[in-house]
Amino acid sequence: MIEALLLLFGEAVMVFGALGILRFPDVYTRLHAATKCDTGGAMTILLALVLSMDASAVVRAKFLVLAFLIAMINPMVSHAIARGAYKYGVKPKVTVDMYAWDNP
Amino acid sequence: MAQESLLVSAFYVLVFTSMLITYRVLRGPTLPDRVVGLNTITTKVVIIIAIVSVLRSEYYLIDLAIVLLMVNSVGGLILAKYMERRAA
Repeated sequence: MIEALLLLFGEAVMVFGALGILRFPDVYTRLHAATKCDTGGAMTILLALVLSMDASAVVRAKFLVLAFLIAMINPMVSHAIARGAYKYGVKPKVTVDMYAWDNP
Repeated sequence: MAQESLLVSAFYVLVFTSMLITYRVLRGPTLPDRVVGLNTITTKVVIIIAIVSVLRSEYYLIDLAIVLLMVNSVGGLILAKYMERRAA
């Protein structure tokens, strides 16, 4: 029961993340939607898979290692992409750009 | 079995969202938009591989998912570094 709820929650988070990537106005808000929704949805779905399947402990440990790697790697890549996009010349559509205060 | 149909529905939802994001990859105004879309699609493919490995009880596929995630991270970092160097 709990694994079905986790699976449906993960699917809902994935769908809303995809809608955010489609509808948000500039790169940084799209990156916000992609990172939070994708990482959270992926970890939730993997947790549901671990709870629902009947396999040995080694296989379950591999799924948990995959969830841990997603939690470590995905925000790192997103941070690097945001920094690269700002250096590339894509300015955010905001009225106050605090990153430009510190990096003239 | 209800569990298996739930997993199949999760598979189709992930494929559908990947096709939605493909629009952003093809039509994105700038290069960082495309990079964000590709990164997200690859994470979704990793989850699809994990779901297929549970559905068909072929658990060696999870090693493939871990390797794909690591390759995706290296590719994203190199594209970010390229955008950073390109500016100057």
